[in-house]
Amino acid sequence: MAFDPSRLPRVFRIPFSRRALGDEVDAELRFHLEGRIEELVALGMSREDATAEARRRFGDLDAHRRETRAIDEDMLRMQRRNDFAETLARELKYAARSLARAKTFSAMALVTLALGIGAATAIFTILDAIVLRPLPYARGDRLVALSSPVPGIKAAPVWGLARHEMYYFKRASRTLEDLGIYRREMSTITGGVGVQQAERATVAYVSASLFGVLGIVPERGRLLNADDNLRALDTLDVALMSHGLWERRYGGDPAIIGKRIDLEGFPVTVAGVLPANAQLPDSKTELWLPLDMNPASPARSNHVFSAIGRMRPGVTVDDAQRELTALTAQFSTVFPNVYTARMIKATGFTTQVKSLRDDVVGTLVTKALWILFGAVTVVLLIAAANVANLFLVRIETRRLEVAVRSAIGASRRDLAWHYLAESLALSGCAALGALAIAWIGLRILVTLAPADLPRLDEVHLGWASVAFTIAAALAAGVALGLLPSLRGTIDLTMLREGGRGATGSRRRLAARNVLVVSQMALALVLLASAGLLVRSLRNLRDVQPGFDATNVMTMSLALPNARYRTAALASNFFEQLSSRIRALPGVKAVGFGGALPLESSELCTGAVIDVPGPSGERGDCVQMMQVTPGYFETLRIPVRGRAPDWSETDLSGASAVVSGAFADRFWPNQNAIGRGVKCCNGNPPFYRISGITGPVRTHGLDRAAGQVVYFPMIPFATNPGIEGLPIFMRMVVRTSGPQGSEVVPAIRRVVAELDPQVPITDVAPMEQLLATSLARRSFTMMLLATAAALALLLSAVGIYGVISYVVAQRRGEIGIRMALGARTGQVRGLVVRQSLALAAVGVAIGLAGALATTRVLGALLFGVSPTDPLILAAATALLVTLAALASYFPARRASQVDPVETLRG
Amino acid sequence: MHGLAVLHWIENVTGQRLQIEEGALYPALHRMEQRGWLDAEWGYTERNRKAKFYRLTAAGRRQLTAELLKWSRYTEAVGLVVAREGA
Repeated sequence: MAFDPSRLPRVFRIPFSRRALGDEVDAELRFHLEGRIEELVALGMSREDATAEARRRFGDLDAHRRETRAIDEDMLRMQRRNDFAETLARELKYAARSLARAKTFSAMALVTLALGIGAATAIFTILDAIVLRPLPYARGDRLVALSSPVPGIKAAPVWGLARHEMYYFKRASRTLEDLGIYRREMSTITGGVGVQQAERATVAYVSASLFGVLGIVPERGRLLNADDNLRALDTLDVALMSHGLWERRYGGDPAIIGKRIDLEGFPVTVAGVLPANAQLPDSKTELWLPLDMNPASPARSNHVFSAIGRMRPGVTVDDAQRELTALTAQFSTVFPNVYTARMIKATGFTTQVKSLRDDVVGTLVTKALWILFGAVTVVLLIAAANVANLFLVRIETRRLEVAVRSAIGASRRDLAWHYLAESLALSGCAALGALAIAWIGLRILVTLAPADLPRLDEVHLGWASVAFTIAAALAAGVALGLLPSLRGTIDLTMLREGGRGATGSRRRLAARNVLVVSQMALALVLLASAGLLVRSLRNLRDVQPGFDATNVMTMSLALPNARYRTAALASNFFEQLSSRIRALPGVKAVGFGGALPLESSELCTGAVIDVPGPSGERGDCVQMMQVTPGYFETLRIPVRGRAPDWSETDLSGASAVVSGAFADRFWPNQNAIGRGVKCCNGNPPFYRISGITGPVRTHGLDRAAGQVVYFPMIPFATNPGIEGLPIFMRMVVRTSGPQGSEVVPAIRRVVAELDPQVPITDVAPMEQLLATSLARRSFTMMLLATAAALALLLSAVGIYGVISYVVAQRRGEIGIRMALGARTGQVRGLVVRQSLALAAVGVAIGLAGALATTRVLGALLFGVSPTDPLILAAATALLVTLAALASYFPARRASQVDPVETLRG
Repeated sequence: MHGLAVLHWIENVTGQRLQIEEGALYPALHRMEQRGWLDAEWGYTERNRKAKFYRLTAAGRRQLTAELLKWSRYTEAVGLVVAREGA
């Protein structure tokens, strides 16, 4: 407000600066002393005596002055605070009133801002929960994941750690405080403590040190210790239970410690229950068992364990990496029986240290989320540009009002305050709307998100998100509120020219053009990125997976070890099951395998391959899988030659199938059939290769066809190299029609008839697995496409607004043109051309931007170049068309201008 | 009433029996102003000197009544105690 009489007396009473305040106190005290002195002099004292007497009566002048001043300063501070709050409250009230009057403006600005901030908040929340926040461990920032990359072996990019490495690094490392290893797998709880039904559960075999590394303390009972690890070499007899399993399966039984449960048919004693928040990174481990290990055992190349280390305080990941690289380089002398210098050189074997969080989340997810965050930030900018445009229009329409106000005495400061209050009120409301949008958006996003997205359960709209919303709204509010003040709105010429100030509006039009051009440019970048991802996804869908997923159901089953101790027993089970399932109505084929295509493990195992060389054999690490007869047939994986059938259980004449890529690697340009492979660290027997499969995408559609040996079932169960694994198999069933799920109950019945302790899990159609393997990419694509669509819509609104404004401004000119004989088409063309000119500039800048930025999409793309000309052209065409469409309505309005009316007005 | 006048008034009323350190009056006055019991304003004395004048506000009057009540109860109680002792 310009003039507020209620403020005047206060200005008199309380001085504004601290200095004036001190002067005032001095004046008051001086008045007192002088008054006293005069009185005393009037009573007959000399001036000196009077002064001394007055001072004496007054006491400690300095102390009293200081105290009085302190009180006054305090008063001033309070006053200022009250004044500020009062001004703010008054201006906000006024702003709310004036916003309520301008309903269309407020609604448009509010919705646009809320949408922009809400979208940004939702994605920020996901980014924060998954990428930014440390893992939920005490001092989680000091945790690192250790692994062993072997770049020399293409087929297996990363190995785990071996037991002897854990002991060695624990002893030798100065950067690591402690180190633990574990292996996770699915297992079957077969009974115990009165609960008989079998249940599949994730179990972890862990070193005792892991608990210290992760800072886990037991809720009940005790943790595992090094003795448990030692004893596990002979027998597995203790386990820890997760809080979840304890509550769910055993009803939170307070006397569970010391009781016995059955795992795979073997009894184990419950030694402790872990608290609800104790977990391995990103998993739901239900049982924790001691890993069989002994520091005195000889080193063995068994690189299969996940490893987590805790760095000492102040140590960085780079420090730890440097030290472990140096330590690993000495392995050929420290462990000469396992590593040779030649092997280390050939494979590039080393130890990699990564922050545990990066390891859990993965670089691709991190990157995708940052890209999405970038995209929503761009949408927010475009939205803010639209609102800025609305504000500029509003300033334009209120120029007369503002000129009048400043003429009657409103200062620049008052006016700036007014605009700021208005935009802050608006952005405050927008923040509330944004939180609502983010909340709803997150619920939708979390349900749509691929289930394998790490840390998804940690995504919540928390304080960080609220802080982000407030920060974004505040930034937008301040920027929009300062806009009019920056542009020098107080234009008294308005009054003189009777409301026709032409120069100011031309300058403001330029500002609006800049806004629209930047919107266009940003929208093009988003559009091109979304287009590239759509193209990538289509390319992936076009990839030949090497198998036929239609009408195939998949499920898992696991045989308890205790009752299938020999290969013959297991093989017999699968053969019987196979023939019974094939006999079911609607089933055409059935097969079992260690893994399905697309989801094979990257781990490799040492094998000896019969290739011409100095020794006639070559050792290498290869991926292997066990399959039963029917596996290739059911998945319709083409096999050249033949796959072993159920009759070939005789080890002496065993045969195996290899993938085409495997054959090409070891026997390039030769016939692989008839050659041989020894499994599992080169133990006999020697398998004759009897068939070669076509290219199958074993690791995912975006990965090259795998190099795999498919062994029959027998060797794994008899080979001591595989350590008491439960016999876990994936089953594939080809049905005659698309109603695959209808045969599942029958299959369950058949399995239960054969062995009621074998649970069936993970039932899913193969086509769904195919879709899941694309889920992360399609999720990213969907979000980016949504962002691009929003950007497109907002830009269209932006250009529509500017062109409408231009048409309104040029009514007079258009009227004259029409009076002089311009035809409707010409007038429309004039308007559309102007819109296209803006679009052209925007597109040109946007193309440059897209060329510079789409490269960051990198690994998210598949089979398309980041600068694919077709995509860029399509995005350009879409944007230009939209600009033309957006200008169509203003153009029609322009052509309907009545020349007579405009000329008269 | 300005600070000096307040002192004069006290001197007159008490017949100079109540001696106070004059400087201590000012922090007291300013604190009362801060609490809203007093209103302060610069003005001129009858001899045309610039001085800071204080006036009791409505809140100040309420406070004064309350304090007086408290005081009279206190003196009453003390009086009773003293009377009993004297008897």
